Amino acid sequence: MTHTVAAPHRPPGRVPTGTKARRRRPSFGPYLLIAPTLVVIAALMFWPILQIGTMSVQKIGNRELRGEPAQNVGLDNYRAIAGDELFWTSLKHTMLFVVAAVTLTVVVGTLIGLLLNSLGKRMSATVSAGVMIAWATPPVTAAIIFTWLFGTTGGLANWILEQLPDWLVGGNWTDYNWFGSPLPTYIVLTICVVWQSFPFVAVSILAGLRGVPSELYEAARVDGAGPWRTFWSITFPLLRPIFLVVLVLSVIWDFKVFTQLFIMSGLANRDAFNLSMYAYSEAFGSLNPKLGVGSAIATVLTLILLAVTAVYVRIMVRQGEVA
Amino acid sequence: MAATVTMIALAASACGSDTTSGGSNSGGDADPKTLTVWQMGAGSPEQTKFLDGVEEEFKKKHPGTDVVVKYIPWPQVATTFQKAASGGEGPDVTEVGNTDVQSHIEQGNLADISDKLKAWDEGKDLNTGALANDQADGKTYAVPWYGGVRGVWYRKDWFTELGITPPKTWDELRAAAKKIQDAKGVPGIAAPSDQTNAILSFVWANGGDVAVKEGGKWVGKLDQPAAREAIDFYAGLVAKDKVAPDKYVGKNELQGPQQDFALGTLGMYIDGSWALPQMQKVKDDLANWGTFPIPGKSGGTAPVFSGGSDLAVWKSSKAQGVAFDYITVLNSKKNAQAFADTLKFLPQFTDVLKSSKYTDDPLMSAFAAASAGGVKFTPTSKGWAEFEQAKKVIPNTVKEIMQGKSAEDELKKANEQANTLLNAA
Repeated sequence: MTHTVAAPHRPPGRVPTGTKARRRRPSFGPYLLIAPTLVVIAALMFWPILQIGTMSVQKIGNRELRGEPAQNVGLDNYRAIAGDELFWTSLKHTMLFVVAAVTLTVVVGTLIGLLLNSLGKRMSATVSAGVMIAWATPPVTAAIIFTWLFGTTGGLANWILEQLPDWLVGGNWTDYNWFGSPLPTYIVLTICVVWQSFPFVAVSILAGLRGVPSELYEAARVDGAGPWRTFWSITFPLLRPIFLVVLVLSVIWDFKVFTQLFIMSGLANRDAFNLSMYAYSEAFGSLNPKLGVGSAIATVLTLILLAVTAVYVRIMVRQGEVA
Repeated sequence: MAATVTMIALAASACGSDTTSGGSNSGGDADPKTLTVWQMGAGSPEQTKFLDGVEEEFKKKHPGTDVVVKYIPWPQVATTFQKAASGGEGPDVTEVGNTDVQSHIEQGNLADISDKLKAWDEGKDLNTGALANDQADGKTYAVPWYGGVRGVWYRKDWFTELGITPPKTWDELRAAAKKIQDAKGVPGIAAPSDQTNAILSFVWANGGDVAVKEGGKWVGKLDQPAAREAIDFYAGLVAKDKVAPDKYVGKNELQGPQQDFALGTLGMYIDGSWALPQMQKVKDDLANWGTFPIPGKSGGTAPVFSGGSDLAVWKSSKAQGVAFDYITVLNSKKNAQAFADTLKFLPQFTDVLKSSKYTDDPLMSAFAAASAGGVKFTPTSKGWAEFEQAKKVIPNTVKEIMQGKSAEDELKKANEQANTLLNAA
């Protein structure tokens, strides 16, 4: 005898969430939608990177630029660079500069971000405007201004230092040549680059701070925590992703600094070269370009920056947050 | 009459070369619609006005052609030419820095104008030394346009006040600088490290050179005693004698010396005749400024580098005959002299240079005398641009020596670079 079982009663509108496994069909829709973007990024980014990698094992001069096929020279370009003392000096300068500049940029930017967060509306707008002007100044303009500020003909910095008492800053500042040797040159360069870069950090930190619930700060105040403790116990952990982004971006940007150094000390001061100046003087700067060597240096720079980015991605993934 | 004859000769040669080579122009050069002319530098209203006048004169021969002038700032010159050479848009006529001409010839950028030059009446008076710089394998690829040499600018009033006469030897130069420094409390002379062409005058004055072509190869001579003494003297002005300040180390003559001299905080500095308009913009103190040629080691004048520009026809130009016609107008003796005057350069026609116009001029006579004393060129190697501009070998070497490194070691390194770069394939 058949036994009819009543179908399970389902209230209308309820989505069936039965134990029956849903058959998933891979949907191509989303991929199709992002495909155009991917193609553009691949064309504009990956293709040049591949080209540079290819060119770095070739010899490319004017003849090759005009159509002759480039000859493969294997790792000769890399060997030439590794054997060049100036490459290692430039790399050292670049690394030290990045450490100093990024540290200062992040510290100053964070302080300004915290300041902007606690200012009233009008004062905040004023400080923001000043900060934006620093950010909006083109690198060339900033470099020319700082070269003049620290120059010897009518330079403000030397004049101020000369006015200050000798026991504080020493004497003989009037004709001090800031761009005659690497260390003073990089001091000026760091000031210039930090001045131009901290606004980005300040604005990012400010945006992050706006998202922190104020009850946390009230609770900290009630518990008697001072500003230092508050920052490290509340602000920093909550803003960690932003700090990471800002840190990695700053490292990448400061590694590539070229314009300011070119204007401040230029090609006549090889002892103060950083990696980008070294690449420029090897690859361009004359009528006989050596793009193979230039590409090799660019590849080295890219690999270093990829390593930095890899560290960032790893930290983010480890924290369980997908970048 | 002469102009008509020249025109007919040019037209004949243009037609002739076209039929023999089955050239790209159909039966001689029809007037192209536009003629592109590249000028180096940022340009100026005076230069534009002058070129407009040249265009009017040119249009008398080629009424259908408009001249389009494009200014290329000097810092962009190398990359602009690179782009044009690698297939981009090139000019018809272009100004070329005379130190770059050999590089351009090597790269095959310039058209062979030997025949057109022979047919040009005024062309035979061109300065032979300067013209030699534009030739390779017996063919001519450019013509010299204007050139300038360097001399020492000095404060006439201070010299008179302190009883100094324009120095004729290196020792006198050093002594004059010291006297000014002691009396006036300002640096006596400027010795910037980034001034290759001035430093070379001292090397040449001592019988030395950067490199000499021996058996088809460039052999560096920077490690020889002649070069070493000269560079020791120049660097010594800063390091040993302390009559030149170290605030110009790592800088060129336009990044301090020129401004300080114009403002009156510097006794002497080395620059070309073209510096006058720039200095007057800073401070017009012309009455107190004078010039004397860079002295030789123990008398005479030091050989000077004649920096300047030449004019060439771009190889891929489709109107080469017309382009050369434009050059003959732009570089006619009359126009060349007028233009050179506006920039305070010298035209490159020997008879014009020897005329009283220059020998009687109080400022220009020093430069004219220096040119007459001996114009030398830097090695005509295609690697010279890299040696001088990209790597700045001599400025960096001089800077190291000024900051205390051993001259022998640094010059040896510089010499190795000279051997590598100047012989680069």
